[in-house]
Amino acid sequence: MRRSFSRIMTLAGRNEKEILRDPLSLIFMLALPLFMEIVFYAVFHKLTPQFEMKYLAPGIVVFSEAFLSLFAGMLIALDRASAFLTRLFVSGTRAYEFIFSYALSLVPIAFVQTAVFYLVGGIIDRSIFGVGMIWGILLSVVTSLLFIGLGIFFGSVCNEKSVGGVSSIVIMCQSVLSGMWFPVEGLSGGMITFMKCLPFKNATDLMQNALNGVTDPATDIIKPLLIVLAYTVVAFIAAIICFKKKMKA
Amino acid sequence: MAVIKIENLRKDYKDVRAVDGISLEIGEGELFSLLGVNGAGKTTTVKMLATLTEPTGGDAWIFGHSIRDGKNEIREIADISMQETAVARKLTVGENIDFYAKLSGLDAKHREERKKFVSDVFGLDQVKNKQTQKLSGGWQRKLSIALALVSQPKVLFLDEPTLGLDVISRRELWKTISSLKGKITIILTTHYMEEAEALSDRIGVMKDGALLFVGTKEEMFAFTGKTNVEEAFVHIVSGGEYSA
Repeated sequence: MRRSFSRIMTLAGRNEKEILRDPLSLIFMLALPLFMEIVFYAVFHKLTPQFEMKYLAPGIVVFSEAFLSLFAGMLIALDRASAFLTRLFVSGTRAYEFIFSYALSLVPIAFVQTAVFYLVGGIIDRSIFGVGMIWGILLSVVTSLLFIGLGIFFGSVCNEKSVGGVSSIVIMCQSVLSGMWFPVEGLSGGMITFMKCLPFKNATDLMQNALNGVTDPATDIIKPLLIVLAYTVVAFIAAIICFKKKMKA
Repeated sequence: MAVIKIENLRKDYKDVRAVDGISLEIGEGELFSLLGVNGAGKTTTVKMLATLTEPTGGDAWIFGHSIRDGKNEIREIADISMQETAVARKLTVGENIDFYAKLSGLDAKHREERKKFVSDVFGLDQVKNKQTQKLSGGWQRKLSIALALVSQPKVLFLDEPTLGLDVISRRELWKTISSLKGKITIILTTHYMEEAEALSDRIGVMKDGALLFVGTKEEMFAFTGKTNVEEAFVHIVSGGEYSA
């Protein structure tokens, strides 16, 4: 057990270095969302409430977490293609140790992302500072695990050429199906139901509600949290099964 | 004393028999080369011995541990350097060595000893702060083999270790591999006849999954009536048809 934990931590340290030393990951996970947070607030916040900082900052947090799928998927697919994983497999590393190590390496990155976007948001609009921000930062671990799980799954089933395209679908879904850039009230009832069945809007709602306070915790926090958790568990189970299968092959 | 014992080892992929019931014994500290044309079954044999692929039939024992039910024990004492370079791309050479040393579960004192050992043997000190992806193919391959030695394995599988390297890099790597002879039991697969001739204690020739010949190069010459490994290999594999 102790040996296994040590292996997971060693692998996680390596994964984190691999991701953070890629300039593109810093641009997409930090610089681009930060730019969007500042510019979108400056341009749109007086035109539509959607872009007030109390809605924009949590939306940006979840949007930036969607990029974790892309970089987790790319790292795993490249590791598989280069025989790096096979080599580690021979040295006794187990499939679940790989999966946990990928997840563990990305959670601190998500934590920093959230803290940065909330801090910058708070500097721009001080009204978002409060207990809700602490809840938001804590709950961002859950939402980040959703995207990490999806990334690990895609990295396990796709090759290094296709994983970028497939993971981009998650980023696109987070943009279009989360309701973060436009009010959903104008959409058809069927479309809204569809969005509520998927994790993207629920993750965004969860973060926005945590920051802004709730009137009914069951509807505003627990329901979206359970939906996000359900998708996260399914993504991780699928990732472990596919990863094991691929490694065996 | 034989530390690797292979008995009637077989591997089938759908309609193809990749390894056809080979039997063999390899002694401690021996460097055994497996020669064969493409698709002869060399890599599949190595993958079965390294516990990466399940055999269809037969069994093999490495230091008494079966490749069927002693996988974890074998993974503790054996390591592999595959055809493809398997290193962490954005880590430096030093970080790669440290990473493997930590993964192998060595305590801090032994980690430092092993890091120094592989750095000295492979001359890695001069590139230890360079990011791996920026190294030449030769250095990457050297590092890949060095990493397989970090865990202090008793058995090392080298699957075409010099594939794609220039002649100087290849010779450098031969020198390094030679320096390991007698200390570690090595099974090496290669397409380069001069590599097998320069490095091996014994040579095995495979064709269509079967082991056609096992012996020293002198025994190979006597068996075929040839005076170099390449000619002897061609004679064995082609049944004398393409002999010069």
